[in-house]
Amino acid sequence: MHEIGVRETINFLGLTFNIETLKMTWLAMIIVIAVACLATRNLKVVPQGWQLFVEMIIEWLHSQIDAMMGRRGRSLAPLIVGLFMFLLASNLIGLVPLMASPTNDLNTTLGLALLVVVLVHCLGLYFKGGHYIAHFFQPTPVFVIINMIEEIAKPITLAFRLFGNILAGEILIIVLLKLMPIWMPIPLVAWLAFSIFISCVQAVIFTMLSMAYLANAVREDHAEE
Amino acid sequence: MIEINATILAQILNFLILVVILRAVAYKPVARLLQQRSDKIRNDLEQADADKKAAEQTLTQYKAQLADAQKKAQAIVEKANVTARQEHDAAVAETRKEIERMKQTAQAEIENERNRAFEEMKSQIVTLSLAAAGKVVSKNLDTKENDKLVNEFISSLNKDMFADMK
Repeated sequence: MHEIGVRETINFLGLTFNIETLKMTWLAMIIVIAVACLATRNLKVVPQGWQLFVEMIIEWLHSQIDAMMGRRGRSLAPLIVGLFMFLLASNLIGLVPLMASPTNDLNTTLGLALLVVVLVHCLGLYFKGGHYIAHFFQPTPVFVIINMIEEIAKPITLAFRLFGNILAGEILIIVLLKLMPIWMPIPLVAWLAFSIFISCVQAVIFTMLSMAYLANAVREDHAEE
Repeated sequence: MIEINATILAQILNFLILVVILRAVAYKPVARLLQQRSDKIRNDLEQADADKKAAEQTLTQYKAQLADAQKKAQAIVEKANVTARQEHDAAVAETRKEIERMKQTAQAEIENERNRAFEEMKSQIVTLSLAAAGKVVSKNLDTKENDKLVNEFISSLNKDMFADMK
């Protein structure tokens, strides 16, 4: 059982890395890729078994993207489905004893959140150009302050929400393991079950919020065009 | 616990790699398959629509042809009836004419025969009369009286004997 809050670090090329987070990230990546490969192996025009499930997810995602972003959003579908699967796998890994979620490290969540927000601004500039910048100064230029705070708050809230939920869940698991005698497993089991729920919900929330932010930048705005 | 270091860069990189791999391995084939399937369904539906339309067209065509054929058959039958009646009438008329002609011929022949028989008989009667007259003459040489007798005899013959032969 690792010490809470203390991270093993290594130095590589003068940079410091949290090695456990990286290992767990790679594990999550491998799990995600393996699941994806298994699910999409042997694709047929008439679907069966796993393929149905994967198609269902992608169809649902496509409909969400179409509704939120319009046709331009389709190219972002792999990013969003990847984000969701990676977060789900990452969150759930932490519930396995002796393992930790990559998402219990702020580096992971903030990295993903920054990636999303940077992508939002880049796509907004690419698709809308001057309108995108102008829209921060509306309805009056004074609003730029509020808008800036909002834009800065986006990645921070996104990152800390996920980070806090997952880390808290893992901490409580460790605490419960130490606190409760082994013959009294009900609180731990209950918390584990709740953690599974939380893991799924947080993955969904992060993904949906990312989609909403991206949609803002990508959606064809009839008023502006 | 909340220290940010180079891991953030590594995580961004990791995630981008994951997205690229996922896109290549899983997303693209599935999306392509979905597209293929929707294309196939659309094509099938369009094909079915076209087939149905073609079938309906063929049916209408066939119905029209059938009606046409029935009309033609009706016309042919009527025409045949008319022709047959005409031919029948013509044949009947022809036959009647033929019969008429034959009747006339027969009557003419009968007339001829009767005339001939009458003439023959007349000449025989004359001969017989002459023979009878000769016998009378041989006994009685008063020719004037005789001629008168003979002529009387012949005219009586004409009147009495041939009255029913006319």
